[in-house]
Amino acid sequence: MPAVQETIDRVRKIDVDQYKYGFETEIATDKAPKGLNEDIIRLISAKKDEPEWMLEWRLEAFRRWLTLEEPTWARVEYPKIDFQDIHYYAAPKGMTGPTSLDEVDPELLRTYEKLGIPLKEQEILAGVRKQSEPSELDGELSDNVYQSGRVAVDAVFDSVSVVTTFRKELAAAGVIFCSISEAIREHPDLVKKYLGSVVPVSDNFYATMNSAVFTDGSFVFVPKGVRCPMELSTYFRINEKGTGQFERTLIIAEEGAYVSYLEGCTAPQRDENQLHAAVVELIALDDAEIKYSTVQNWYPGDAEGKGGIYNFVTKRGDCRGDRSKISWTQVETGSAITWKYPSCILRGDDSQGNFYSIAVSNGYQQIDSGTKMIHLGKNTKSRIISKGIAAGFSQNTYRGQVSAHRKATNARNFTNCDSLLIGDQCGAHTVPYMEAKNATAKFEHEATTSKISEDQKFYVMQRGIPEEEAIALIVNGFVKDVIQELPMEFAVEAQKLIGISLEGSVG
Amino acid sequence: MNIHSTPQLTPAETALIEAFGDRLTLLPGDGNVMLKRDNAIEALKAGLPTRRVESWHYTDLRRLLTKVPEFDAALEAKTVAPLIEGSPVLPVLNGVAGKPAAIEGVTATPVSAKLADGTYAAALGTQGADDAIGALNTAFVADGWLLDIADGTSLDKPVELQNMQAGGQVHTRFAVKVGTGVTATIVERQTGTGAALVSSVDNLTVGDGSNVTWLIVQEEPDTASYFGQFNAWIGKDAKLTLFVMNAGGKLVRQEIRVVTKGEGSDFQLRAIDLLAGDTHTDVTMVLDHAVPHTGSREIIRNVVTGKARGVFQGRINVHQVAQKTDAKMACNTLLLSDDGEFSTKPELEIFADDVACGHGATVTEINHNHLFYLMARGIDEKTARGLLVKAFVAEVIEELEDEQIVEALEHKLDGWFATHG
Repeated sequence: MPAVQETIDRVRKIDVDQYKYGFETEIATDKAPKGLNEDIIRLISAKKDEPEWMLEWRLEAFRRWLTLEEPTWARVEYPKIDFQDIHYYAAPKGMTGPTSLDEVDPELLRTYEKLGIPLKEQEILAGVRKQSEPSELDGELSDNVYQSGRVAVDAVFDSVSVVTTFRKELAAAGVIFCSISEAIREHPDLVKKYLGSVVPVSDNFYATMNSAVFTDGSFVFVPKGVRCPMELSTYFRINEKGTGQFERTLIIAEEGAYVSYLEGCTAPQRDENQLHAAVVELIALDDAEIKYSTVQNWYPGDAEGKGGIYNFVTKRGDCRGDRSKISWTQVETGSAITWKYPSCILRGDDSQGNFYSIAVSNGYQQIDSGTKMIHLGKNTKSRIISKGIAAGFSQNTYRGQVSAHRKATNARNFTNCDSLLIGDQCGAHTVPYMEAKNATAKFEHEATTSKISEDQKFYVMQRGIPEEEAIALIVNGFVKDVIQELPMEFAVEAQKLIGISLEGSVG
Repeated sequence: MNIHSTPQLTPAETALIEAFGDRLTLLPGDGNVMLKRDNAIEALKAGLPTRRVESWHYTDLRRLLTKVPEFDAALEAKTVAPLIEGSPVLPVLNGVAGKPAAIEGVTATPVSAKLADGTYAAALGTQGADDAIGALNTAFVADGWLLDIADGTSLDKPVELQNMQAGGQVHTRFAVKVGTGVTATIVERQTGTGAALVSSVDNLTVGDGSNVTWLIVQEEPDTASYFGQFNAWIGKDAKLTLFVMNAGGKLVRQEIRVVTKGEGSDFQLRAIDLLAGDTHTDVTMVLDHAVPHTGSREIIRNVVTGKARGVFQGRINVHQVAQKTDAKMACNTLLLSDDGEFSTKPELEIFADDVACGHGATVTEINHNHLFYLMARGIDEKTARGLLVKAFVAEVIEELEDEQIVEALEHKLDGWFATHG
C-alpha cells in the first residue's frame, strides 16, 4: 500500500531544504590547528586544565586509535574522511569553561535564543518576568520545551560548554549537572570510576577517537534515592567551519535514583561535511531509572546531498543494578549520515531496556541506526519499537541486535520495526540479529502491519469508522506510545514528526 | 573470498589446496572449465570466510571447518530406497553418476560429460566474493546430473536425485531446466555413511507457467560436513515450492538463492531444521524480487536440542521495479536445551514503494499453557512435549499438497524423534 498524501505532506515539511537552523554565528573563536596527533591532545587537555591522569587516558586512547580501522559494515557510503583535515578544538574566544551567565558573549546568547533555547532562567527566578510572558529575546520562535523555562540546560558550542543553567537548584537536591570538563576537575573520583566503564576506550573506531579528543559534554550524577527535580538537557551546536564536535556525556543514577535527560543538536548550513563523533555512557544502579531522549536535527545537507553532518555516535547504557531501567527515545531527522546504535546492557537481574525510535530520512540522507539489547541477567526485559520513513533519495536502515546469554534465564524481548517508503528512489532496509543461548529466553520480532489485529480493526470499524481511518487510528495510537516516552514538554517539538501516519508500512 | 588478508592458512585450507593439486589430472574439463577451477581455487587461497564476512556472520567457516578428508576412489556408495516408492532414481555414488532410470519427457545427461567437452563451463564459477560454496564446488565438481524437462510434461512420480557418499570428498551438481507448462516434483537426497566433505550445487530454471516442487532431504551422518547451494530462476506465472529438511550433518550450510524473473511468479519456501548433538546448521536464503507482481512466503521451523547451534539468515531484496511485491517470511524456533543456540537474521532490502513485505522471527521454549493443557488430560510430560514439538514442525509439512510426500516426510520426522526426542 503506498503512502497516503497526508504523510507525504508532513515529510515534505521537514525536507532537507526546509532546514531552519542553518544560520551561522559570527563569533571570534580560538581554534587548535588542524590535524590529530599527540600534541593536539596535549593542547586540548591543557585548555581544559585537566589532571595528568586524564591526559594519559586520552593519549592511550589515541595510540589505540592509530591501530584501528574505520568500520565499513554499515549501509552508508561517503568519501573517505581525512581525519587530519579537522580542527579538533574550537571555542568561542574568551571561553575556557562554564562561567556565569553575565560573562557569556551576548552573541552566543542570541544564537541560543535563535535556536529557541533561552539560557535566562535567572530572569524567571528573579521574578523579572513570568514564565507565561514572552521575553523580548523570544522573537517569533515556536513553542518548544526549552521555552517552558523549567529545563536545566547545558549549552555546548563547538568544543566548550557555554553555560549550565539551574545549577543551584539541582545542587540543593544533591544532583550534579555540569560540563564533563568541570566534572573532571571537580569530581575526579566519580569520573575515574565511571568514565569508559560502559564504552571501553577501544570499543570501536569512533569511540576510541572520541576518547582521545573529546572536548565537552555533560556530566550528570544523581545520588541514591533522589528523583531529579527537573528535566536535564544538553543543547549541542556546531558553529565553526572545518571543525568536528566530539562530546562525551556520562550519566550516573545511583540506587533508586531517577533522571530524565534530553539532547538537541543543530549546525549551520555548509557545503562541507562536518564530523560529529560522540560517546554517551549511562549507568543505572539498583532500582535506578534513566530516560534519555534525543531530537537529532543536525544539518542534513542540501537537496543535492552536498554538505551535512556525519553523525557517528556510540551510545550505550549499562543496567548495572538489579531492577534498573534505561530507556532510549530518539527522533532522528537530521545529519547527512547517521551511524548510531543506542544500546542497553541488561546486566542486573530484572533490569529493563527500551528503545523507541522514529527516523525520517529525506534528500540524500543515509541512516543506519538501531539498537543492541544484550541480556545477561535473569528475568531481563527489552522492548524495541522503531519506525523508519524514507523519502527522496535517502537510505534508511534499521540494524538491531538482541542476544540472550547462557545465564539470562527468562530473558524477554519484543521488537517491532516498520519502514515506510515515499517514492521509488529511496530504500528501506531491516537487518535484525537475534541470538538466543538460553532455552527460557523468549524473543519476538515482527512488523506492525501484522500487529493490527482484525479484532481491533473490527472494533473500530463497527463504530462507523472507515477502514483506512480505523487503521490510521490504531497505528497512530501505537505511535503515540512511543511519543509518550518523551518528556512531556519535549513532545511538542516532536509532535510535527509524530503526526506522520504510518499506514502502508512495509514491515 | 575473505576480504581481510589471511596470512596463514588453516590446516583445512591447506588440505583443500593440496587436494586440488592431487586431483587436477583426474578432474574432467576442457580449457575453459579448468580456468574456472583455477580461479575458484585462487579464491579459496585467500582463506575461507570468517564471521567478519557478513553472509557468514554466524558460521565462521574458517574456524568451524577443521577437517578435510582425502578423496578415496575405492569407497563405494549405494543407493537408498526412494522417498516415494516407485520413483525413478538418478544416483550419484560417491561423486560419480550411476545408472539412471529412464523417464518419459526428461533427458538426463551426466555432468562429467558436459564438463569434459566444456559445454558446462558457463554455469561454473562464483556469485560474489563471499560465495565459498560456489568456489569449493567449481574447483572440485566431478559429476552430477543435467536434466531437461520438455515443455508440457506432467510427471506422475517425483524424480529422485540421490547424492550418496561413503566418505572422502564428494562434489556434485544437479542442473535442471524445466520447460514451459510443466508440472514436476523433484526429490533431492543428501545422505551417506562416511565422515565426508560434501558440496552440492543445484541450478534450476523454471519455465513460464510451470509448477515445480523441489524437496531437499539432508540426512548426512553427524561426522560429515555438507555444503549445499540451491539456485533457482522462476519464469512468468510459474511457481516453485522448495521444501528443505535438515536432519543430520556435523557442519551444515544450505544456501538458497532464488530470483523471481517473470511477472506473476511465486516462490514458497518451507524448511525444517531438526538439530541435535554437537552440530552446526546454517540455512541462508537470498531472495530477489526482480520484477513487478511477484509473491513469496517463507516459513522456517527449527527445533534445537543438545549442544546444537542453528542459524537462519534470510534476505529479501525487493528491486526498484518490483512494485506490488508481496513477500512474507517467518522463522520460528523452539530452543529445547540450555546448551543449544539459535541465531537468526531476517533482512529486508526494499527499494520499491508499493509493496507488502514483512518478516517475523521468534525464539521460545515450549508454551507452558499448551503443555499444561495436554498434561491436564492425563498425558505424561515427555509424551506431551513430544506431541507439541512434532506438531510445531509437522504444520509445515502438512502444507505440501501431495499426500504421499506428506506421509513420507512425517515418517522421517517420526524417525528423527525416535532417536533424538
